[in-house]
Amino acid sequence: MHTNAASSELFDNLRLELRRGCLVVAVLAQLYTEHYGYALRKALGDQGLAIDENTLYPLLRRLESQGLLVSQWREEEKRNKRFYRLSPLGEEVLPDLLAEWREMSAALERILGDRGLAAAPESGSESKEER
Amino acid sequence: MSAKNTDLLDRYLHAVKFWLPKAQQADIVAELGEDLQSLVEEREAALGHTLGEDDLVALLKKRGSPAKVASSYVPEQRLINPAMLPVYWLVLKIVLLWVYVPLFAFIFLGPVLTVAHPWEMLLRCLVEYWRAAFMTVGMVTLSFALIDRYQVKFQRADNWDPRKLPRVPGSQNAGTRWNHLAGAIFGLAAAAFWVYLMWQRKEFSFPGGSRLILGPVWAQIYWPVLGVTLTSAFFDLLSSLYPRWSQVRSRVRIGIDVCGVIIAAVLLKAGNFVGIVDGHLSAADLANSVAWFNGMIGWTAIAAIAIEIGDAIHEARFLLRGKRAKPAAIPSAM
Repeated sequence: MHTNAASSELFDNLRLELRRGCLVVAVLAQLYTEHYGYALRKALGDQGLAIDENTLYPLLRRLESQGLLVSQWREEEKRNKRFYRLSPLGEEVLPDLLAEWREMSAALERILGDRGLAAAPESGSESKEER
Repeated sequence: MSAKNTDLLDRYLHAVKFWLPKAQQADIVAELGEDLQSLVEEREAALGHTLGEDDLVALLKKRGSPAKVASSYVPEQRLINPAMLPVYWLVLKIVLLWVYVPLFAFIFLGPVLTVAHPWEMLLRCLVEYWRAAFMTVGMVTLSFALIDRYQVKFQRADNWDPRKLPRVPGSQNAGTRWNHLAGAIFGLAAAAFWVYLMWQRKEFSFPGGSRLILGPVWAQIYWPVLGVTLTSAFFDLLSSLYPRWSQVRSRVRIGIDVCGVIIAAVLLKAGNFVGIVDGHLSAADLANSVAWFNGMIGWTAIAAIAIEIGDAIHEARFLLRGKRAKPAAIPSAM
């Protein structure tokens, strides 16, 4: 029982670390086109990358403070919404980031392939997705 | 949205606002409010009716407590730089364990053994220790926090040389460690003996009425001798616990040797170390005895100087060897 709780916590922490960098890439890539926060979260979720509101909004603010995003308050459907999109700096950085991502992904695939871990069983991935 | 739910949402947003940095409060709360309203609208559209109070409560509880939500916007703060933590723990360990414990033992051991109620004295010792420890932890933490706050860098990150790293303890180090421990015990015993023998001592009285009168120089060198002996014992203790600090130990050892030479030189310069009062001896015998005693003490001081200089040379050679030593060939990872 104790071991299960500990391993679950460990898995959650590892998952959090793994997702941290991926989310930045996903958010930047999604904001090639303008989105407001709620719509962005839905768009990411629809594509299989669910993101918690308490993670997304602080991340957006951080990326904006780093100059990678620009935002604008605008009225839409009778409500003020904050729209985000990539800044010129973000547009410059994102391709490099994606190249790095693809390189890492390919390297990881090679490492996993060498050890026969490349194709994870579908059921296993589904159960992890639920967590 | 019903008026009740609007009120509930406003209260939630107001509570979140309380925990946010002032400059960002309005902006964050506006965006958070917009997000929650979008979520409520989407749920209501899916259900085909307005959300009940319980539904909104469940939704807000899922979002998290106001303090938790606000905390995700606040940048992570720390009191001490994680990179400094090992040094922080080391400083605390040295001060609390290897400075305070011997110091308190030195101050309180005598009274504990001599007073009528030793438990009361022991309790007082513990209370004083915890008080000192509490203050020290606070001050050390504050110092490290200030270092982190003002980005003080003791050493540039790239300003290091692998050849200056401490040597890996070899098989002979177990013996060396015990030597240092023995040195520490001997030093503490010597300090205790010195205190017992010389504390406010002007003369030694012997059976039969003879008295050995100490010269004023002994009062002059009392504290320096005690200080050097305790310092030497303390560093021997540290060396036995941290044998890798060989270079630091050598430098301190040289300092202690220099102090020892100065003390012995002061003693030698004084000349008349002791006088003798004895009604049974003739004037000639008395003069001979005094000369013999002073001669012995003088030669002992000279021998002490020679030993200190020899030890200092030995430590200096060790330091020089350490500086000249080439690192062992490390197999290339390439």
